[in-house]
Order: sequence, then structure tokens, then C-alpha cells
Amino acid sequence: MLLDDLLRRRLVILSGKGGVGKSVVGTALALAARDHGKRVLLIEIDTPVSAARFLGANPSAGGETEVLPGLFMVNLDPRTVMDEYVRQTARVDLIARKILENPVYHRFFAAAPGLPELMVLGKIMVLEEERVGWPRRPRFDLLIVDAPATGHGLSFLKVPLAASNAVPVGPVGHNARRILSLLRDPKRTALAVVAIPEEMAVVEAIEFAGSAGKELGIETRALFLNACHERRFTAAQEMEILALAATDVPGRLAPGVPAAAALTAARHHIRRRKLTQFYLKRLKKAVGAPVVPLPFLFDERLTRQSLQALAERLEAA
Amino acid sequence: MSAPPHQALQDALAERRIIIVSGSGGVGKTTTAAALALRAALQGRRVLVCTIDPSRRLATSLGLETLSDRAREMDIRRFGPAEDGRMWAMTLDTKRTFDTLVERHTPDEAARRRILGNRFYKQVSSALAGSHEYMAMEKLLDLSADARFDLVVLDTPPTRHALDFLEAPERLMGFLDTSVLRWFLKPYFVAGRLTLKVATRTGAFFLKLADRVLGLQFLQDLSEFFLAFEGMYGGFKERAAQVHEVLRRDDAGFVLVAGPSALTLDESLYFHRRLVEREMPFVGFVVNRLHPVGEASAGRGPAPDIDDDLGDRLVEVFKDYRRLSKAEMRNVARLENETGVAPVLVPELEGDVHDLDGLDEVGALLVGAAAAPARRGRTRAPSVAAAGRGAAR
Repeated sequence: MLLDDLLRRRLVILSGKGGVGKSVVGTALALAARDHGKRVLLIEIDTPVSAARFLGANPSAGGETEVLPGLFMVNLDPRTVMDEYVRQTARVDLIARKILENPVYHRFFAAAPGLPELMVLGKIMVLEEERVGWPRRPRFDLLIVDAPATGHGLSFLKVPLAASNAVPVGPVGHNARRILSLLRDPKRTALAVVAIPEEMAVVEAIEFAGSAGKELGIETRALFLNACHERRFTAAQEMEILALAATDVPGRLAPGVPAAAALTAARHHIRRRKLTQFYLKRLKKAVGAPVVPLPFLFDERLTRQSLQALAERLEAA
Repeated sequence: MSAPPHQALQDALAERRIIIVSGSGGVGKTTTAAALALRAALQGRRVLVCTIDPSRRLATSLGLETLSDRAREMDIRRFGPAEDGRMWAMTLDTKRTFDTLVERHTPDEAARRRILGNRFYKQVSSALAGSHEYMAMEKLLDLSADARFDLVVLDTPPTRHALDFLEAPERLMGFLDTSVLRWFLKPYFVAGRLTLKVATRTGAFFLKLADRVLGLQFLQDLSEFFLAFEGMYGGFKERAAQVHEVLRRDDAGFVLVAGPSALTLDESLYFHRRLVEREMPFVGFVVNRLHPVGEASAGRGPAPDIDDDLGDRLVEVFKDYRRLSKAEMRNVARLENETGVAPVLVPELEGDVHDLDGLDEVGALLVGAAAAPARRGRTRAPSVAAAGRGAAR
């Protein structure tokens, strides 16, 4: 249901505080979209480590890479995107080279606030508009953007608005307004926020969803609560564990499993599970969009299997 | 380097005047910064903790509704601080700091108004990414000279690359270096209309291109901005040099915070390398949120009286935790091997930290003053207070 709603769009933007597992959720979502027969592009932005590694693929530099049939990935480096833009705009190689080699250009790009974000969003718009074949059809059915976790909340999405104010005329202003209208178009774009069941991540997610709507006019369509501890004991067992854990329990439950250590782990799990419940409720109350819990993964290393399991959870949501 | 990890932090809290807490997003940086500050205050220092995070996380950590860019004193009396130990907290207001900087360096009222009213300036100085780092540095300089505090703990923005923060002053200077930019842009402003008389052909190309993509209006705003900054450049440069100096002082120090995952530890490793390269003072690593597995030596005595179903489930959960914990400890060992520095390890608590009591608990763990993580059996997170705060937001 929720998945269908997201997959109907052209662009899904995943946002959230750092460390909440956006790239994991993004990859799972891409797998789910692919299972629905979509040609999907997962866009990462200047990530030091690509989510492609979860799929056992080699994160290649530059260009959209098909990591699984129908699933493409690209890591957009703002600098490269900017250089590409200069080359296209200058048209003449010599001029482009002169500009690209100019130290002023480098300094300007390194420091000009918002410019990298604007360039990246522009590139995303270009990818969205790309058509192939005859009759013309979109090159990608769905683009999933793993938005940078700068902690600056909205700033990434705010850039087109800021730019269209700062640059009232000319192509940059024009493009900024086009990007903005893509982001604001609920038919084409869905914003999804990712959080984990922790105070700060949840508070930030709620604030983010609120201000995206108020300040930018972008509505949040889904909230993913990642790393949820799910019930593993009955209510009676939980009570028993908490009572036992408060005492000194000798002996082992199995070879290499001291009872006391197992009870400590179980108590930790139970408290985290209660927190999960608490934050789920709080999110549901505060945000109008559907809230989707995704399980905490105890895997030593994330593999395609673990992600496929998450994709199935998305399917069921 | 040979000092035990807790001791290094403890010494820093006792002796340093600036502690910068850095790391990638979501590793508990803000909590660590606030907990260190509280700890130092309890030991008798006058401490300010400053967060530059616009999402006001520190406010959450401290259980405060609002935190302003004016230092506000926390009531820590119930923790029994030593002597004149006091604690203040504040957040950075990027725009206001930038405005103050401009006010300080502009020669006259007219110049001030020209900058503060400039369209380009308004965008640059408000919430756009990048300005936070610049202004954090600027504020740090201010605070380090404030006689009220003898220790400033600075939480840093969760930049993708924590290094952005270190390089902020240099990038700001590069950007504002009008001697070069002016060379391109002055003709616009001087003539007040489109003129392309610039010294070199590259300059002319640049202008043509800029005009094509940015438009004349923007270029005028931009050149006006740079012209207005012309008189301030010297002042800015001086400030940036001072920031640089402050960061290298012996009484400053960096605490690098990470989570137990390989990814965040990699980032800490990288950051550490850069600190060493730049000869910046390093205090220590903190690795937060390790999963607990209890003691391996336990397990003697008769088997407990637990029914089979519960026993099986307990074993299953334990194995999950142990697997995760082993992977985490491997990651930590790698950090230690590669840097020769043992990190301070902080177990994941059973509840969230969002008030002074929680910070006190974390602070104790950071300096090795508490053995058991769950000494007060914290299950208070889903409390009335927390729910109330959530509703008020």
C-alpha cells in the first residue's frame, strides 16, 4: 500500500539525521521497487562509502552503474557535476578548460554556500527528465535520493528556494525554480523521512517533516523508523526476565551462554523494545504520514539478503 | 599516548581551556560534549558548552525547551559541584554571529547597511550549509576570550567530512579573497552597467559565462558584496589566523567521537590522521553505543530454573548480541591498532539520554568513574516529562 504510493512517483527523497541508516533504507526501497519491475536509480551524494557494497557491487566512480538488472546506482560528487555543467555551458572546450583551471573557480566552488547542493539537485532534475527510445520513455522509472545527512535539516532542500531568491534572473534562477517545482509536485516527488527510535533522531524527524511542509511546501509521504527492536518474548516472559535480571543468576543456559549475561542482553533488548514502542507512538501522533517500522539488524555485516528482508518488510507495510 | 584512555579525558577536563568534540553524524557527539562539560563543572570548573547544531539537539539533551545564543546557566547544584563549578549552555546562531562579525569590521554605518542589506549576503549568512562551520570558528574565538568561562566545550556540526570544520576559516578566506574576485567583478559595479573591460581574456570569458548562467542582477549583488567586504578583508583574515592559532594551542584539544560500526570508526581514523598531520592537539577517542554482553567468565553454578521456551529465546537473543558485540570489538581493536590510542568505550545505555541526570551518568562513564552502565536502572525514557516535551514542540 505505502510502497505503491511511493512507487507511483518519479522521485523519492530520503532524509534524516546522520547515522539513522538512510542508505540501508534507500537500498531496501530500491530493491523493493525493482521487485515491482521498475527501472530504479539510487542516487547517493558525495558518499565516501557507497551502499553498492551491500549488494556486493563495486561502487564505480562516475556515471550510472547497473548493479543488479534494473537497479542502477550513482554517486553524485558535486564538484564533478559542477565541472560537467561548466563544460556544457561554455560549449567551447578551450574556454571551459580555462575556467576549470582557474584558481578563482576552485575557491568559489569550495566556499560558495549552496552551490554544491544546487548543482546536485540540478543533476537529479536532469536525470528525472531523461528520456530514451522511441516512443520516448523515461530512462528511469524511479529515482531514489539518499539526501546528505548534514544535520542542517532542511538546508539541502532549501537551496533551490534560496537560490531562486538570490538569483532572481538568469538561467540559474530559472533552473532553481524548476527544481523547486519538481520537489513541490506531489505527483512526481515524495519525501520520506528516516529515523531510529531515539529521542534526538525522532525529534529531528518530526521537526523536519513539519518544516518541509511549512517552509518548502513539500509534504512528507512516509516515515521509516529504522532499527526497531521487535518483541521477542511474551509479556509474561519479559516480566520474568526483568525480575531475574535484578538478581544474581548463576549457571549457564547453553554451552558458552552464561545465564547472567543472557539476562543482561535480554533486559537491554526489552528496554530498547519499549523505547521503540514509545517512539512509534510518538511519531504516529506527531506526523500525518504512515510510519513504517523496520527491524534492527544483528547481522555482522549487511548483505543483500538482509536488505532483501527489509525490502519484504516494505512490501508488507 | 600511553595514558589510560579515561585518564586522558580526565586530564583534559581538568587542564584544557577548549575542547572540541568532533565526529560524524549520529554518534552521540552532542551528548558526549554536554556530558564532558557537566563533568568538568562538577569538578569545579566554569564551563560553557556550545552546540552549533541548528536542530537544537543540545536543548533536547539538557531537557530545555529553548537554548539561545546567549549563554544560559544550568542548575547543577543537586549534583554537588566542587567549589565554584558552574555550567552554561548555548547554541550558535549562525546569522547573528555573521552579522556581529560584519558590524565589528565595517568602517561606518553606511558600509554596514550595504552589507547587511545585500541580497547575496542574506542568503550566505542564513541557514545555508557551510556558514555554520565558518561561524562556529568565529564564535569559538569569541568564547575563548570570555572571562566568565575557563573551559569551552564545543560541539561541532555533523559535517559529512568532519574536516570541513577544520578547513572552514581557510575556505572562508579563499572565498572572500577579494584581491582575485574583485579583479573579475569590479567592472560591473564601477560602471553600474554591463562592462566587460577586464584585464585578461580569461577574465572576460569568466564574466561572459557568469553573466550567461547567473544573470546581471546577481553579478551586481555579488560584486557589491565583495566590494563591501573589501574593507573588512584584513579584519577577517586576522580573525581566521587567530582561530588557527587557538586551535593549535596546548590548552585546546580534540575529542573524536565514533560509533562502533566500521564506517564511523573509519571516519574517526581519517580525522585523527588529519589532526596529526596538521599538528592539532588530540585528546582521545570515544566510542559510544557498544552492545553489552556481560562477562564471559560468568556461568558457574547450577543451571537456573527457567522453562525451555524462555531459555531458548534467551539463548537466541544472547547470540545476536554476542555476534554484534564481537564485530564491534573487532572494529574498536582496529582503531586501537592503527592509532596506538585506546579509545574510551561507552556502552549503549538502556534508556535515552535527554536530561542532566543522563548526562551525569554518561560523564561518569567517560572518565571511568562508574563501572556499571545501568546503575540506576534507567527505563525512564518513555516518561511523562519526555512525552510532554514532545507534544510542546
